[in-house]
Formats: sequence, structure tokens, C-alpha cells
Amino acid sequence: MLRPSRWRPSVRLLVIAVPFLWLLLFFAVPFLIVLKISFSRMAIAMPPYTPVVEYLDSALTLRLNLGNYAALFADPQYVLAYLSSIQIAAVSTVLCLLIGYPMAYAIARMRPAARNIALMAVVLPSWTSFLIRVYAWIGILDANGILNRFLLWTGLVDAPLRILYTPTATYIGIVYCYLPFMILPLYANLVKLDQRLLEAAYDLGARPWKAFVRITLPLSRSGIIAGCMLVMIPAVGEFVIPEMLGGPDTLMIGRVLWGEFFSNRDWPAASAVAIVMLLLLLVPILVFNRHQQRQMEGRLA
Amino acid sequence: MAAAPTDGTHAGTHAAAPAAVDPERYLRIEGVRKEFDGFVAVDDVSLDIRKGEIFALLGGSGSGKSTLLRCLGGFERPTRGRIVLDGQVLDPLPPYERPVNMMFQSYALFPHMTVEQNIAFGLKQDGLSGDAIAARVGEMLSLVQLAKLAGRKPHQLSGGQQQRVALARSLAKGPKLLLLDEPMGALDKKLRSRMQLELVNIIEQSGVTCVMVTHDQEEAMTMATRIAVMDQGWIQQVGKPDDIYEQPANRFVAGFIGSVNLIEGIIDEDQPEYVTVRTGDFPAPIYVGHGITGYEGQPVAFALRPEKVYIGKQEPDGDNNKARGTVEDIAYFGSHSVYHVRLPSGAKVLANFANMKRWDSDGITWNDEVWVSWDDNDGVVLTG
Repeated sequence: MLRPSRWRPSVRLLVIAVPFLWLLLFFAVPFLIVLKISFSRMAIAMPPYTPVVEYLDSALTLRLNLGNYAALFADPQYVLAYLSSIQIAAVSTVLCLLIGYPMAYAIARMRPAARNIALMAVVLPSWTSFLIRVYAWIGILDANGILNRFLLWTGLVDAPLRILYTPTATYIGIVYCYLPFMILPLYANLVKLDQRLLEAAYDLGARPWKAFVRITLPLSRSGIIAGCMLVMIPAVGEFVIPEMLGGPDTLMIGRVLWGEFFSNRDWPAASAVAIVMLLLLLVPILVFNRHQQRQMEGRLA
Repeated sequence: MAAAPTDGTHAGTHAAAPAAVDPERYLRIEGVRKEFDGFVAVDDVSLDIRKGEIFALLGGSGSGKSTLLRCLGGFERPTRGRIVLDGQVLDPLPPYERPVNMMFQSYALFPHMTVEQNIAFGLKQDGLSGDAIAARVGEMLSLVQLAKLAGRKPHQLSGGQQQRVALARSLAKGPKLLLLDEPMGALDKKLRSRMQLELVNIIEQSGVTCVMVTHDQEEAMTMATRIAVMDQGWIQQVGKPDDIYEQPANRFVAGFIGSVNLIEGIIDEDQPEYVTVRTGDFPAPIYVGHGITGYEGQPVAFALRPEKVYIGKQEPDGDNNKARGTVEDIAYFGSHSVYHVRLPSGAKVLANFANMKRWDSDGITWNDEVWVSWDDNDGVVLTG
């Protein structure tokens, strides 16, 4: 205690080192391994790719094979898969926002006791396995499923709707699974909104809708961005939902990656697909970080 | 609604003519009562507020003053009663349709907008042209002397500057009624006394009628032309600051505003020219040099402000209105000291002493035997 400078730096170092070590071990190292594989060539061997760095006859050779990346851009199938993934993820994110915002807003306006119950109801489905919940949608959307039987019973349709194994089913699955990730950050933001700001807006002549657009919406921007990131980023790489609910024509990069890896056993190509996907996602993440940082700076100033 | 009454055939609409509004009764609060789940926050309050005056609702927490203000702003609907402003019944109108603007407690400035945008917000809701808005915002900025800070965000301003932005924002639309909710609540003491006068100047320049809510009696007395003292949903007294201070209506008002010596007693003699009050606290009866409405034997309280009490070592002349005691405590305030004098009866009398000399060495000190005395018209007999 007398000379804190003696022990403080080491403690500080330790505190910083732990998350760094964590990131290094579980993020940087796996990423570098995938990056390495993406520069190799497919081989009938174990592991099924050629080494990138070789030490043969006293010569250290680094052989970077760019063919995997070249193939990604040469083959329109890959480009289409990327574009289609981004499109599906973007549309799903917008749908999540349109559904999630009113829900989060309503929950934030509830009495504190009711809020907790409502939040529990949002999170509760996640306690069941993700796979089982997606599987349950097959039972709902099937030609003989609950939805179609209900629609036939009410007489709204004459023949069962074909929803399962179409892009529509993929959208339904993604929106359903990722909705809590949209609601929670939005709720956390909206619950903090100072009600007096809305009263001030009404007082100055703004009707409720106008006050929402001019006050609530801009002040919840960081919640909207956080929610959209949390939905969009995992949705781009989604594999299970399009595989189980989407038809063969629902093209998503996750399925391409799966195909390269397990069907073709082309680890280098699969790795290149993964690296490009990561780079695509990195851009929105950086934009988000930049925004967060600016917000923090604004608050400190 | 298009056909306006043009002759005397619409007998029921005679009150609608704006010219008929009595400036003495510009804002009428008529029997307003507000209940929350069986709890009565405001109980049958009636007030008439003059055009152009600054009227203060003064009271402690739970007195109903804020609820009444929120009824004026349209954020609460009265359970019973009416509010009429300039001949227009306000009660059915939502806040965004009232010609009333409020400066909120801790201001409620929009954090994502600049000073300029905050002030322009209300004008934009009226659908004014861009030029008209810019002109009015410029006018407001110069009124509160913030033209240089027009582009700043609220968090980049000091407390006093934020307050002026809030005031400019609430005056921008030229409301018929301005509401101030604890206007000095977020400022420190030094800034408070400066801003009180500055705020009054700005409000008087704009000529708007103003109702403010405060728990701070000094603030109410400094800023307001008239004050309504509220307690437990009731108006205890309405009057000018000096009326309320010098002629409190009852024990609550006397005790709430400033400090006071309250002496319980019984009316001994009730004459048209004078009254005497018998009390166990003083050896001699209290002599009051004016008549009151009461009866002999009525229990009353005698209220005497400490600054009206003379304290000295010499026995004063006369038979009444004096008592002997010992100095128990001295509270030094710099400009004056308050002496706590204990009487043989056990009662305590507070007496102010203006410190007009520096280092008054032969002044009165602890445990001194002193006389306290006052003039015939210095105290007030309270029956309520």
C-alpha cells in the first residue's frame, strides 16, 4: 500500500493479459490456421492439404497458392452465394427490426414487474436446443403441418401452401431464431429513454408519432445498430436454418462452405470461402465499432 | 364551426369573445381536484392568475404543487374542475395542442440536437417556413445571450447555459402561459441567486404570464409577484411575497416561510384597538396593537419573526412584550447572528442581531442574561 507503483503495473498487466491470451488462443490462432489452409492445395493425404511452409534440403519455402481465392471470384456460383447470403441476412435483419422494435418498445414501457416476465418470455425459447426449435418449424410449415391444417380448416386456402423448403421458410426461421438478439439491445436502450424528453416534445407541439420519429428513434440509434449487427453477422454465415428449412435453391454461403468441406473434402477452398466471408463481415463490424467509439467520446466530452 | 356568431342570437356563446377576458383572471383554475388511485394530490384548488404576472406555487414535497403544474401543462387530467386560459377551456386539450409551454425540471433538453435545433423544435411543429424559424431562433438566442453557442450540444454547456436554452426553447413559440418546474433545482447556490434575477428579467421582457413551482421560499419570494403556499393538496394562502411573510394566514404558512417564534396562548382581552394574549411562556401578557377577528378565550398562536425581536442587556421600558432569559446558542451567519434565548418558563425565543460592527467584543455572548422585546405591531395573532 505504501508504494503502489511497485505492484500495480504487474496487476494491470495481468488483467489486460487474460483477455488478450483468450483472444490469441481462441480467435487469432484458429484464424491463422484457417488462413494458412486457404493458401494451400488440396491433397489426398492426412490432413487433406499440402503444407504452405516446407523445409526441404536446407531450403525454407513458403508456397502461397492463390488459386482458391481466384476460383471464388471466377466462379459465379460463389459470388451468387455471397450476394444471396447478404441479401437473405439483410432482409431478415430488417424484418427482425420491424418486429423487434415495437416489442422492445412495448416491454420498455411496461411496469417493472411485467417487464421481467416479458423479457423472460423473449429469452425462454433459447433454453431449448437451437436445432430442435428449427426442426419444430418443419412440423409447422410442412404441407401437412400445423399452419396448413389450420388454414385449410378456416377455409382461407383451398390447397396447402408450399412454404417449407422455400426461401420464405428460411426467412421465417432466421427471423424467429435471431429476434431475441434484436429485442434485447433495443430494450436495453429504450428502457433508459428519459420520458421527460417525450413530454418536452409534446409540450412543444409534437404529436406522439412526430415525437417518436424526432426523439425516440434518433436516441435509440445505437440500440438499432447493435441489434442489427447481432442479427446480420451470424445470419450471413447461417447454415442450419437454410439447410433444414430452405429448398435446394436457397443459396447461402454457409451451405457452400459445408459442401466444400464435407462433400468435396476441399479444405483449402472451404477455408478461402470462410476467410472472404469474414472479411465481408469485418466491414460492418468496424463501422459499428467506430460508431460506438464516437458515442463514447461524445459522452465523455 | 365555420359560422361564427355575428349577432346576439347565440346567447350561450357570449363568453367566447376574447376581448371579454378579464386580465385579472387571465388564467382561471376552478375547483381543480386530482386523485391518483384514491390518493388526493390536489384538493379543490381555485386560483385566478393575472396576465403577465409571475405566479409561484410554493410547497414541500407532496404538497400537490407539481401535480397542479402538470395539470396546466396537460400531462395530467384533473379528476374534477376546470382550467380556463384566456377564455379557452384547456382540460380536453392534449399538451401538444395547448398554447402553454413548460421549462422542465433539469430542463429535458434533447441531447441529440444542438442548441439551435432545440429552440427550433417547437417552431418546426407549427410548420413555419425555414426563414421564419431561423429569424425566431436568432431572436431567442439573443434574448438569452447564447448566440455564440448555437451549434453546441446540450452536454457541452454549463448548467446556467442549459437553463437559458431551456427557457429560450419554451419561450420560442410565444406561449400564452409559461410553466417553470423547479427552475433553479439543478443549479448550485451561488449561480441560483444570479439566474433568479436574470430569468425574471427575460420573462418580463417577453411579457408572458408565468406559473412556477418551487419548494424554495427564497426563490419564490425573489422571482414571483404573487405566491400560493400549498400543503397537502390545499392552498394555504395566496398573496404577495411581503403579505405572506408579514401576514401569514396560519401556523403552517408562518412556519414554512422563513423562521418564526410561534407562541401558543389564549386571547385575554379582545378590543377593537388592541388584543392581549395570555401565555404560559412569558411572564407578562402579549399586547398586540391592532384588533383581530376572534373572541376572548380563543386559543391562538402568536407569530413573531426573529428579526423583529430586539435583544439587549438593559431592561426595556413598558410592561408588556418583553421577557428575560439566558443566551443558550449563537448561530453566526456572517451578516447577522441568531441568538437562541431560553426563558425561565422553558420556552425558547430566536432573535436576529445584525452584525453591523466588525469584531464586536462587548457584544452578547453565551450564558449572558438578556432581555428580548418587541413592538406592539411586530407580531401576528394566528387563529388557524
